[in-house]
Amino acid sequence: MNSAVLSSRRSPTGAPQPSAARLSLPHARAWLMLAPVMVFLVVLASAAFVVIRMSLGTSGHEWHSFTLVNYANLLDPYFMKSLWLTLKLAFQSTVLAVLLGIPVALAMARAKSPIVKRLLLAGVLLPLLVNLLLQSYGWLIILGPSGLLNHALLAIGLVQQPVQWLYRPSGVLLGLVQTAFPLAVLPMSSAMKSVSQVYEEAAATLGASRFQTLRHVLLPIAMPGILSGSMLVFAYNASAFAVPLLLGGRRVPMLSLLVHDEVAPLLNWPAASAAGVVLMATTMSVTALSQILVQRSQRALWSK
Amino acid sequence: MNLSLRLERPMPGQLGRATSMLATVVLVLAALPIITMIVMSFSASDTLQFPPQGYSFQWYRAAWHTFASPDASDVLSMGQALMTSLTVAGSTMLIATALSIPAAYALNRFNFPGKAFVEQFISLPLVYPLVILGLSLLLVFNWLPADLGVFRLIIAHVILALPFTVKNCAASIAAIGPEFEEAAYMLGARPLRALVDIVLPLMRPGILAGMLFAFIVSFNEFTVTFFLYDINTMTLPVWLYSRTVSSLDPTVFSFAVFIVLIDFALIWVLERLVGDEGVAL
Repeated sequence: MNSAVLSSRRSPTGAPQPSAARLSLPHARAWLMLAPVMVFLVVLASAAFVVIRMSLGTSGHEWHSFTLVNYANLLDPYFMKSLWLTLKLAFQSTVLAVLLGIPVALAMARAKSPIVKRLLLAGVLLPLLVNLLLQSYGWLIILGPSGLLNHALLAIGLVQQPVQWLYRPSGVLLGLVQTAFPLAVLPMSSAMKSVSQVYEEAAATLGASRFQTLRHVLLPIAMPGILSGSMLVFAYNASAFAVPLLLGGRRVPMLSLLVHDEVAPLLNWPAASAAGVVLMATTMSVTALSQILVQRSQRALWSK
Repeated sequence: MNLSLRLERPMPGQLGRATSMLATVVLVLAALPIITMIVMSFSASDTLQFPPQGYSFQWYRAAWHTFASPDASDVLSMGQALMTSLTVAGSTMLIATALSIPAAYALNRFNFPGKAFVEQFISLPLVYPLVILGLSLLLVFNWLPADLGVFRLIIAHVILALPFTVKNCAASIAAIGPEFEEAAYMLGARPLRALVDIVLPLMRPGILAGMLFAFIVSFNEFTVTFFLYDINTMTLPVWLYSRTVSSLDPTVFSFAVFIVLIDFALIWVLERLVGDEGVAL
């Protein structure tokens, strides 16, 4: 019998769990059970290759030509500005979402009462699951010239006349932070949940303030969760579509809007694909980078 | 320990007052767009001024009128869009869950080369740019000789729902432990029988949570659907958007409140199922 099949999962005492079921069943059965899910995921992965192939074609004979002209066309200032804007907004929204998410994640990890837990989870799931289009309608009302935000700002005297938020990067940024912050909260709270209270008690015994405990004990241990949350927010917002479509329009041309414009009014599939490949490559490289950071932070944590 | 002392200063590792207050503020801000939209739908005026001058049900009456007796000029009635949305969400829910149960079982009960890769691969739809998914599926579907109709949307939505269904099913299997199946084997049950009679019933909360997630994800999907829909397969969100391209009329808010109420109910049920363990993501 193959001992490599032995489960790596360990019981709480740290001893390997012997399991008859896991020892006797072959790999083939596992792959058979995974096959249906893999079919759909392979469609997803191969869809990426279709886009890459299309980006090398010319309009008219998409499947029979090879050219890099679509990528050369992307060097124009409008596209470059859009790429820069996309990366900037995705980065800013990630930082803000993580900062705002930390207290929520902490509350979720430490709350004791079941009703508080449920309310917290509902509050986090709501912005994530409710249609982005509908939430953008809400933002239209809040950010409008006579909207809630301008009323509040005028009332407390911060501004003398209504500020234009809609169709500006700042308005889009607010929408991006609000719709993506649950993606930062969920991995962070599960990472914080796994941090034993003993560490915080030890820090407090040694005279650390609550903030010092958070800064030097809790956040470093939860760093893998924080990093994977940031990655999710960045990837989600770099390719955001509904929020910039409604709150930014043509004035805040994020990359995904450019891709859709090439498809819907212009019907230029190769150009849309080339822009899409750039978007995909950007997202995937940031994802890969943060995976490396997660692994490194985990290793750093346990080697200390 | 002195109780009043504890009330004044939470012990280390407990939830502090500053954290609770910050968390509440953040969550209220996060819900603000939905709250404003609900308030706005009761507005008595027809501008987007907030807070509204007065309150009435006029937009609900107008919305009901649109729903009950659609104009001939409308390309598609709301009823049809709602039916499409429910069909797609229902099919997505059933297909994604049916696929995820064996996959979750395999990921939990077997060790095989490439398992870590498969686990990463299943999370791919979470970080895959939605616009690219829409674009590439559109290319593939246009290239296919047959028109898939509503299945264009179902295939896309199943892909998007898979990470949620697999992870919720996997979490519930992980909680069961192999002892139950071993006991069944010892009593003479074949592996399939043990799976159907023992494991599946114990997995029920995870399966139901996965199903609800799939339904919610599909029902609220906008971006990918926006690439893939055609005039016969418009979902409710796309229908709503098509009404607001030219101007934003407040009947949209009444329809939106209707969708949000469905979401509220679904999320509340979801939470009952997920319980204290939190959401697997």
